[in-house]
Amino acid sequence: MNNSRNSTDNKKEFWKSLEDYNSDPEIQKLKQNEFLEGVTDDFDSSKLSGISRRKFLALLSASAAVTATACTDYRDKGEIVPYNKRPEEILPGIPNFYASTCSGCENNCGILVKTREGRPIKIDGNPDHPINKGKICAKGQASILNLYDPERLTDPTINKSKVDWKKVDDEIISALNIARNNSKEIAIVTETITSPTYLKLLNDFSAKYQGTKIYPIELINDANRRNAWFDFYGTYEYPSVKWDEANIILALDSDFLGSEGNHIEAVEKFTRKREPLNKIDFNRLYAAEGRMSSTGMMADYRLRISPDEQYEFVMALINELVRKGSAISIDSAVQSKIQKYSFSKFEKSAGKDKLNNLVNDFNSNRGKAIVYAGETLSKDVHIAVNLLNEIIGGTLLYDYSRAFKNLAKHSSKEEIEQLIDSINKGNAGVVIHCGVNPVYQLADDFGYASALKKVSTVISLTESENETSAFSHYTLPINNQLESWGDFSSRTGIYSLQQPVISPLFNTRQKEAILLTWINGSSSSYKEDIYHNYLMENFNTEVYAKKNPFTDARTFWLSALHDGVVTFDENVPTSSKMNQSSLLNTKENQKGGYVLHLTNNCFVGDGKFANNGWLQEIPHPVTKIVWDNYAAISPSASKKLNAENNDLVEVSANGHKLTLPVLVQPGMSDTTINIELGYGRTVCGEVGRNVGFNSIKLMSKNFDSSPFIYSNATITKIGGTHKLASTQEHHSLDETFVKDFHRKRNIIREGTVEGYKKNPHFLHKEKEEIFSITREHKYDGAKWAMAIDLNKCTSCGVCVASCNVENNVPVVGKEQVLRGREMQWIRVDRYYSGTPDEPIVSNQPMLCQHCDNAPCENVCPVNATNHSPDGLNQMAYNRCVGTRYCSNNCPYKVRRFNFFNFRDEFADSYYENDLTALVNNPEVTVRSRGVMEKCTFCVQRIMDARSNAIRDGRELKGSDVVTACQQACPSNAIVFGDANDSESEVSKLREHDLAYHVLEELNVKPNVTYLAKLRNTHSEEIA
Amino acid sequence: MKKTVLDHVLKIRLPLTLFVIAATYVLTYYISRPERDGIGYAPEQPIKFSHKLHAGTMAIDCQYCHVGVTKNRFATIPSANICMNCHSVARKDKPEIIRLTQYYEEGKPIPWKRIHKVPDYAYFNHSVHVNKGIDCASCHGDVKQMEVVNQVRQFTMKACLDCHRAPHENLPYLKQVNIGPENCSACHR
Repeated sequence: MNNSRNSTDNKKEFWKSLEDYNSDPEIQKLKQNEFLEGVTDDFDSSKLSGISRRKFLALLSASAAVTATACTDYRDKGEIVPYNKRPEEILPGIPNFYASTCSGCENNCGILVKTREGRPIKIDGNPDHPINKGKICAKGQASILNLYDPERLTDPTINKSKVDWKKVDDEIISALNIARNNSKEIAIVTETITSPTYLKLLNDFSAKYQGTKIYPIELINDANRRNAWFDFYGTYEYPSVKWDEANIILALDSDFLGSEGNHIEAVEKFTRKREPLNKIDFNRLYAAEGRMSSTGMMADYRLRISPDEQYEFVMALINELVRKGSAISIDSAVQSKIQKYSFSKFEKSAGKDKLNNLVNDFNSNRGKAIVYAGETLSKDVHIAVNLLNEIIGGTLLYDYSRAFKNLAKHSSKEEIEQLIDSINKGNAGVVIHCGVNPVYQLADDFGYASALKKVSTVISLTESENETSAFSHYTLPINNQLESWGDFSSRTGIYSLQQPVISPLFNTRQKEAILLTWINGSSSSYKEDIYHNYLMENFNTEVYAKKNPFTDARTFWLSALHDGVVTFDENVPTSSKMNQSSLLNTKENQKGGYVLHLTNNCFVGDGKFANNGWLQEIPHPVTKIVWDNYAAISPSASKKLNAENNDLVEVSANGHKLTLPVLVQPGMSDTTINIELGYGRTVCGEVGRNVGFNSIKLMSKNFDSSPFIYSNATITKIGGTHKLASTQEHHSLDETFVKDFHRKRNIIREGTVEGYKKNPHFLHKEKEEIFSITREHKYDGAKWAMAIDLNKCTSCGVCVASCNVENNVPVVGKEQVLRGREMQWIRVDRYYSGTPDEPIVSNQPMLCQHCDNAPCENVCPVNATNHSPDGLNQMAYNRCVGTRYCSNNCPYKVRRFNFFNFRDEFADSYYENDLTALVNNPEVTVRSRGVMEKCTFCVQRIMDARSNAIRDGRELKGSDVVTACQQACPSNAIVFGDANDSESEVSKLREHDLAYHVLEELNVKPNVTYLAKLRNTHSEEIA
Repeated sequence: MKKTVLDHVLKIRLPLTLFVIAATYVLTYYISRPERDGIGYAPEQPIKFSHKLHAGTMAIDCQYCHVGVTKNRFATIPSANICMNCHSVARKDKPEIIRLTQYYEEGKPIPWKRIHKVPDYAYFNHSVHVNKGIDCASCHGDVKQMEVVNQVRQFTMKACLDCHRAPHENLPYLKQVNIGPENCSACHR
């Protein structure tokens, strides 16, 4: 074996975590042990069940005897119950797909819902949708579980006792009438309005009940961006960005690739400029941020700028670039304002070379460069960025044809204060909450919860109990999005339809139908199709009339439902006139001490998805922590504080305090404390209750310039720890026989664009001679293989979510993850290189590599895992006796063992109920205790494609099979297909210059090929 | 020589016991075989439907009722509306048809007794077999002659593999037939 290339071409040393970097003795100890401490503990059989073995056997024999005598026919195989009248479109065993729209957030992605025998089992993106193009986020993927959430509300309640809808409707209608007649305010607090018909309905409601005011609120919103756009351009509708045309991108504390805005759309467009297959035409990403975000991990250059310094940074950048020439003329007042700012302040923290590169790149790429500020940054930063984009020609990359529409503005701080004021004065008669949770989401100092107690009628329309419904007199259960009708138009020219794919599972109604009943003024006016008809009517006037197609209205409606989306020409907002003087009123952020930065979590969102176990258990893209949030601080801040991971600290800002554990995050700015929102729900289902810490408690209505950024924050160690569960170090490999395993062994291999252009074969300098000790197996037909392009992977976790749903992967809970027993079949490994202050991050999706010479197969004593003739490493669950030898022998550590029957183990069999069982994919076995499992390359999809090919009498092609992770990957980084078909994309990628296998020298011949990441820096060496 | 107790045990008691155990085992094995593999299982159905009449005498194609068989895993048991395609007119006076109509009109599904079953963890696919030209009768027997359907062949893994390994012997009517897959994930996933 020739090992020479290891020492020559990869100078980079990778470290998985700070403990690893500092060679913490505990990590060394961990590495000595194959499995995590405690992984095999807890097998006291008396603990598992209250019944002793003797008693169990006695019961067994007794029940067997009873069964034997009671059985009339022991050969009975049960019944097959066919449909009485089979719906024409349903054939048992064949899935149906329905186009709909996700209402999980204001992006309203088009979705395609897979149903089997009328039961939704998977949600994927709608490929015909022009924005999200067949992809959705992890929340969307996992949201199928919300439909089958055992803690969904089933019946309307008045003061927590179940009643029927008629009583509720009658009482509320009379309360509404009384409020109207006494000219009291009726407040409707609702989520962001992106549905034109819902907006019309709310207007109808206001017309019927005078005194109604609408308050759209959203915890994480784009209000700063919108308001800045209004100040600068005079419109609230701002354009989307043509990321696929940008050469230079500067992201200012913006996680546009991970959790902000429509990141699914952004990732797809961004990675089109990260395509190593043909001509290398990469974009260059600069990220100036105080925290470490997914975007920061992808960046070619990271500049450590804390969020309170962003305004000065932008102004300094404007100053530098204006000196080099500007596409527009700058007002003299503005000119004198910007001249005060210079880069000198940032040279130390961000690095002089990086700043020079940044300025030069912007200068030489005018019209092809863009600056993008994060949604948490203040309006002032956004105004400055708007000017900056005018100067460098970033405006050419604005896409006004797909602008973000503004159907109804979010309520400002002042408007919410007015509402609370009017409640406190006794002027509010009825408060209606439509799918929102303001008691949780509004900062405590608004005093919303205490104000609610003064309202005689508080109504919550919600899917499950939340903090607000706890304060409500009426709690009305609403339909899940898969049971609802709806329309959405969040972007110009796009009208997206939502249709129910299953009739309501419980005694629920959709929120629009409930409001319509109240508008009609009588409980008997409710019909199941009340909103359906209302929607169709509005569709006819709004869309059909505008579009004026050749078909009749009914046909057009049906075809629109079939496609899920209608595109049409809409007046696009133009923003030619800019108001430069708006910049004159902008100011710097307050500074001093630590700056607290509250950010969005890409899995639980604003807390709405807290009760979804799948989402809680997907490792965080950066920190790999599950089931928790934490205060992330920089390594040097941690030294200063003498606080390490898991140590409890008290963070205080603006007089608000919160105690939570610390996580030391490499690459953060030394003054930034980053905490994610959406955790610490107190009134919630069992899964999400008291998971993490409610960082909204740190928010204040008296914020400086942004509700998400608080300067002068303090952080003090208070003693005690809270153990954070991370999937990070669980897979440490034994180092006694190979020291520095992942550093030497080229698990991650990278290069630079410059280096690659000079020498495309830099990865494979010498042909290696590896001989095999086993005979080669001939693969005559198809041979399944996967290629993953590391240039495109953003570590978003959507593949994990999709795999979980497709393959019935159970939720194991935090305690089990702490023991290293997580069950996900695909994970995204994250490696750091460089220094703790300036780390370079590499991500790598890791799944079963389906090795030709699979080491797991040789050691299975019962031949439960073996190889198929089409190259799959197959796993027969029924044969497995659970020795775990295979996992022991797997160099990639991708095998998962069922230490429990996780369906009855997780939180007292939370997910073992008739309802949640419906989420399972009927084509995949539900594994039970004592069985090893792992990625199957979605063998059920391969078999399905094969059966279709046989039916159609054609050869099976590799492109017929799309794995769940591949289908879900927003950046199309995953390619799957037939390696024996030389025309297939996967075999081309296998032959690519950048292709490598992880642990190639083991000669296990993995069938997952990775494409080495190229960094688009100015040098030929990786920094 | 005096016979000891031990002699009695060794020479008579022990062989006798062993013989009885062995005989019981062999007898039970052979007698219960059809019970164990399900051969001959012919439960009473909620409606006395005759395959002999429909598929045999009237020669209605299997797929007229079992619509899924060429399309996917399940052959599908016909829904009542398929029966009613004919029986809304045909033989409306017969008691069994009256019961069928009753089920249909009340919207109740007919609880047919299941005869053929492979375990849940085996994902048997009807369409790949039928689309390769394998006759239904090769597994289900000559249903056309059955007044009451019963199981005629084993539905065990061994039975599957026997045919997969030697399709020429088991399916002589097929001119071209490949060896069936024997790998685990062909059936288990």
